[in-house]
Amino acid sequence: MSLTDLMSMAKPNLESREKILTKLRGRDLVNCFLCIKCTSGCTALKLLELKPHEIEKLVNLGFVDDLASSDIVWTCVTCLKCVQRCPQKASPYHVIMALRNLAVERDANVPEAYMKAVSQILENGLAEQIQKVTNKKMETCDRESLELPKIKPPQEGFQAVFMKALEEK
Amino acid sequence: MIPVASNMARIGVYVCHCGLNIAGVVDVEEVANYAKTLPSVAVSKHYTYMCSEPGQRMIQDDIKARKLDRIVIATCSPRMHEETFRKAIAEAGLNPYLVEIVNLREQVSWPHSQEPKKATEKAKALVRMGVARVKVLEPLERRRVSVEKNVLVVGGGIAGIQASLDLANAGFKVYLVEKAPSIGGRMAQLDKTFPTLDCSACILTPKMVDVAKHPKVTLLANSEVTNVKGFVGNYEVTVLRNPRFVSEVRCVGCELCTQVCPVKVPDKFNENLSETRAISIYSSHAVPKVAAVDPNYCLRLKTKNKSVCGKCLQACEAKAIEFDQEPVSLQLKVGAVVIAVGSEVFDASNMAEYGYGRLPNVISNIEFERISDASGPTGGKILDPKSGKPPTSIVFIQCVGSRDKRFHEYCCRVGCMVSLKQAILVREKLGKDVNVCVCYNDLRAFGKGYEEFYRRARDMDINFIAGIPSDIRSAANGSLYFDVFESGTNKLLELHADLVVLANGLVPNNDVNKISKLLHALRSADGFLLEAHPKLRPLECSAAGIFLAGACQGPKDIPDTVAQASGAAAKVMDLLSSGEIELEPLKAVVDKDLCGGCRVCESLCPFVAIEMKEQEKAGTEELRAEVIEAMCQGCGLCSAACPTGAIKLQQYSGKQVLAQVEAAFPRVKEKGGT
Repeated sequence: MSLTDLMSMAKPNLESREKILTKLRGRDLVNCFLCIKCTSGCTALKLLELKPHEIEKLVNLGFVDDLASSDIVWTCVTCLKCVQRCPQKASPYHVIMALRNLAVERDANVPEAYMKAVSQILENGLAEQIQKVTNKKMETCDRESLELPKIKPPQEGFQAVFMKALEEK
Repeated sequence: MIPVASNMARIGVYVCHCGLNIAGVVDVEEVANYAKTLPSVAVSKHYTYMCSEPGQRMIQDDIKARKLDRIVIATCSPRMHEETFRKAIAEAGLNPYLVEIVNLREQVSWPHSQEPKKATEKAKALVRMGVARVKVLEPLERRRVSVEKNVLVVGGGIAGIQASLDLANAGFKVYLVEKAPSIGGRMAQLDKTFPTLDCSACILTPKMVDVAKHPKVTLLANSEVTNVKGFVGNYEVTVLRNPRFVSEVRCVGCELCTQVCPVKVPDKFNENLSETRAISIYSSHAVPKVAAVDPNYCLRLKTKNKSVCGKCLQACEAKAIEFDQEPVSLQLKVGAVVIAVGSEVFDASNMAEYGYGRLPNVISNIEFERISDASGPTGGKILDPKSGKPPTSIVFIQCVGSRDKRFHEYCCRVGCMVSLKQAILVREKLGKDVNVCVCYNDLRAFGKGYEEFYRRARDMDINFIAGIPSDIRSAANGSLYFDVFESGTNKLLELHADLVVLANGLVPNNDVNKISKLLHALRSADGFLLEAHPKLRPLECSAAGIFLAGACQGPKDIPDTVAQASGAAAKVMDLLSSGEIELEPLKAVVDKDLCGGCRVCESLCPFVAIEMKEQEKAGTEELRAEVIEAMCQGCGLCSAACPTGAIKLQQYSGKQVLAQVEAAFPRVKEKGGT
């Protein structure tokens, strides 16, 4: 595509675009007609200025590389509202996930929280850290004091399987 | 193999360029030269447009000068121009069925545009097959049968009314069947019409009266078509007249009965925004202006007890109420049918994000029409149905249920203009202090005068917001608010509105499935009825004698609907005016000696064109299949299924098809030793 972004002088990269389309396993993305319903309802827009329709259109035009290396794709909170409401079944959520995968492949900076989650999973199989809660009497409780069962460590071999799965992706 | 009859044939082969449609891919000169080498081919030519006047004349001149007796034309699909070429060669004195069309466009140049060499080879093979087939074609004659000069029009909306009036004025007897107690349809519910803002009732009501009074029109309101038999020119239709429980002759439309009736019923004509009574007149400008009793609500009819209620009986001075009315079946003989059953408005209640059905001040565009209409529940005052006060801000949301893969993929073609019109009405009725917004995606103003209408709306300070909201929420005070990202400014805006109007699209009529089965009218993927050809035969079904008018064929506004209705009426006149029609001879024929009476063909025929008849043979009665020529559409299903080979399709006998197959594989033939 003989396009140039005159603000940054960037050129589209159709190879990267094709990579995203392959990850999406469908070309619905090209059906986006910019009704902007996704952005109107985006939970992350109000918090972090994520504009899903822009991501969708930029990928469509082939401006993928800057997006894949930017922090913006990591701000989606995966509420899936856009998946439900997109009238063209071309939800930007799937595009954002594909961009994240591309970013990981390219060793781009993955936000710390995601790396923490991975080590957490390796350690005890849970994506979230076990937290202490405060009850009505303002006492801080852990699982033990609430008489909840202990978290079992993951089964043997889980780490190896998990790492292998990560590498394959 | 010694060629017998075939070497007598003098075949002309004509290869069409179709501009660059064919010639841009296929080497037409090579194909024409190749055809010259085929046996029995006397002439082979190529030309830019075979279907043009000089193209046709070239073929006709050759037939006369070179004594051609069979013609192969390698051109576009036979669905396009087979009839054109049949006429042309008939004018030159040949039997019109001695022509074979080879499809070089849809089957060669278009699908193989990337491989011109292979495409040329395929074109040559198809021409070779066509030449082999044309040699064994048989001359056929067309038969003429007489037709009924009556027409059935199904549906009494503006499409049905227009078609009926045109046909009746041309002298045809018309039966206009309407399911509701009054004609008028969707247009009767509208307030004003775009782009001229003339009031819908003012332009429609005179037509409703005209059609009801027309001496050539029999108006059958409160009725439905229940059965259709027969074939083009000779349909036998059963119409069921549902009881109204009020005499159409005696009722004077005074509405005294409605005033005394104790049972409240949601008013369908007002989109259930108000209530009427169990005995009522359908609308203020109903035609016929005769009351009808709703048997689902009337106390006496529900309880089937003659001592219950009866207040209307006492009130009616004309003694018009007849509780003992029964459904009546009418048998009609008609030559053609015009389907004009229209469409429904999309129901947005299963679209969670807009809260329709849950939030009372989110309404549909058809509900807005009733609120804005002088004969509606508010007497034409635009009021918020929740608070009953005039709204101070109104938002229209476009493309609800249309252009949406979750519901309907097509564009509803009216939503944009309806919202523009309604926005203008709001501005006119509520003044300049009211906030009016239209949230749109693409605003489509494509018709005559529509773009000017759009500008008129912009001139009236209506805000256009390029963006569709995702959630509509109810605020504590009952008003609505939502976010919308505006693409022109790249800003997320929060809008407050007292009233949200959804631009609901049009969807196929609830009865479309029933109608499609009754009349063998096919449906397209979007659920609407399918026209025979999207460009060249848009007013008719593929079943002969069945025509389409209005929004049953696809979403349409009033100008398009009326145009199509008049068009369909003209097509009916074309079909029936001579009192006779010509039947295509390409039908199935039965060899009675081979038929075993197994009835396989009868069960398969989609057009009910096969009848089993008793026939005496050697003293015993035997069943034999017979083809009703006028109903057979020549699909060939029976011929393929017949276990004894007794049914064959004219021009597609085993011999004729095999000649083509043999020509497709010349090397096999060579090995056999020609």
